[in-house]
Amino acid sequence: MRITSANAAFLMLGPIAFFAVFFLAPFGLLVVESFTHPDGGATLANYLTVLGDAYYWKALLNTLLISLWVTVVCFLLGYPLAYFLVFHVRRAWIRRFIYVLLVTPLFTSNIVRAFGWIVILGRRGVVNSSLLAVGLIQQPLEILYSKLSIVIGLSYILLPVMALSVCSVLQSVDRSLIEAARDLGARPSRAFLAVTFPLSVPGVIAGSIIVFALSVSAYVIPSILSGGREMVTPILIFQQYTATFRPDIGATLSIVLLAVTLLLIGAYLSLFERLRTVG
Amino acid sequence: MNPNLSDRFGRLLIASVSCAAMLYLALPLFVVIAISFTTTEYLKFPPDGLTLRWYWQVVSDPTFVEAFVISGQLAAAATASALLLGVPAALIFARKQFPGSRALSALFLSPLVLPTIVLGVAILQYASALGFARTFWALFVGHVVLVTPYVIRTSLASLTGLEPVHEEAAQDLGATAVQTFFLVTLPQVKPGVIAGALFAFINSWINVEVSIFNSTAQLVTIPVKLFNYIQFNIDPTLAAVSAATIYIAIVVVVAIDLAVGIEKAAVNTTADTRM
Repeated sequence: MRITSANAAFLMLGPIAFFAVFFLAPFGLLVVESFTHPDGGATLANYLTVLGDAYYWKALLNTLLISLWVTVVCFLLGYPLAYFLVFHVRRAWIRRFIYVLLVTPLFTSNIVRAFGWIVILGRRGVVNSSLLAVGLIQQPLEILYSKLSIVIGLSYILLPVMALSVCSVLQSVDRSLIEAARDLGARPSRAFLAVTFPLSVPGVIAGSIIVFALSVSAYVIPSILSGGREMVTPILIFQQYTATFRPDIGATLSIVLLAVTLLLIGAYLSLFERLRTVG
Repeated sequence: MNPNLSDRFGRLLIASVSCAAMLYLALPLFVVIAISFTTTEYLKFPPDGLTLRWYWQVVSDPTFVEAFVISGQLAAAATASALLLGVPAALIFARKQFPGSRALSALFLSPLVLPTIVLGVAILQYASALGFARTFWALFVGHVVLVTPYVIRTSLASLTGLEPVHEEAAQDLGATAVQTFFLVTLPQVKPGVIAGALFAFINSWINVEVSIFNSTAQLVTIPVKLFNYIQFNIDPTLAAVSAATIYIAIVVVVAIDLAVGIEKAAVNTTADTRM
């Protein structure tokens, strides 16, 4: 459709105004707040407090470590699932079923998903009672309320994101390239390592960015599945508003979390760009 | 190892890891649904007997009903606004080249990857400064920012996939831009717009991080209500409410499948990371 510049400007006015007033301005205020002294006046004190305190650093490192594990687990489960879905599943209804299986958890609240894991991993949960019944263990395992349960819960939430990212690139891989490799005598495993996998790297990177970023900023799952025993940055932010009532520190931690996320995304995107120019 | 054997082993490995992944995806939701029917006073899996008692308990608790109503109103209002903001934006991005369009679309899509909890905090402080903190309007503006990207993304995917020849023919025959949009463009991209609206609705419906900062004892959405509830009670009532939200998720998934096909919608909306 041909749209005049005047009409285009008119149509864009609404979205731009809304995002300026209710997205950019609130984030701007948050930045200002993080540089403001509780009694007014500009200060770096909040940042010095946050960056000088080992407690905050420990929480941030813990957050990054958990997110790294989550990304690895999502890749290890998500890649084979996407590969299976794109190359091995022939029947349309099975394919459809798997997509429903991937999307339904995405449409369910984090609380509900965390609750599911409490039931499965708890002392008298599904895992412990099955293992006890089979006689593999004598005492229930302490899986719930640990770093492990947070990684399990977050990987569960983010697995569909990784699998769908990889699916989208695997679908666009030119199959004649794989066939050419096979015709030239490459075994399937070699064709995969030399052709299919390298071509799917952009999807893996894109999926990893999103999984890592969403994992770093996740609040609900760590909050419920940590049982108060593990600290991550989003929980710290929440506490500044509900327990310690330090919105200035809360704003500063939010900006730090935002900066970490943006840095990660920037790094991955530039890597992505370089891969594309090389390939 | 014999080459043939190693390839068969590879196939088997992929199939078994995939089955494990599918089990991992299905298990938590299955378990929640199953225990919501238990006749015991505590959580039991597999459930003992079969009862709808816990669902009845939820329906007869006005605080749960109220939370469902607030969530529904919020999600409907946010989705309607996201359509009003997002569809025109997508149309311009798809049909008009202008300086700064890439930066602008990155801005509109950025709520998809920015920390949601930071958006919640930002809206709380902003609304406090302007005097509307912890009101429906604070929840509303936060949710609109949160869900508009979904509408933009799916609409944009449909619009860029649509050749503009029909639109140009209509305009050449004298239709105005508005007529062309409603009579030619919209009917062709309707499935994408519907899918975007459903993604927007459900992501507002399940949100905790933005809502929790602007909730009060009276003004509480269903996920925030569940979040507060789970801190003190882990019982079959919680399972019944949770199961109800899973049924709604399944209904929305089916609706998306009917509108555009679940495969296309899932890959377009979730996996495409271009900004």
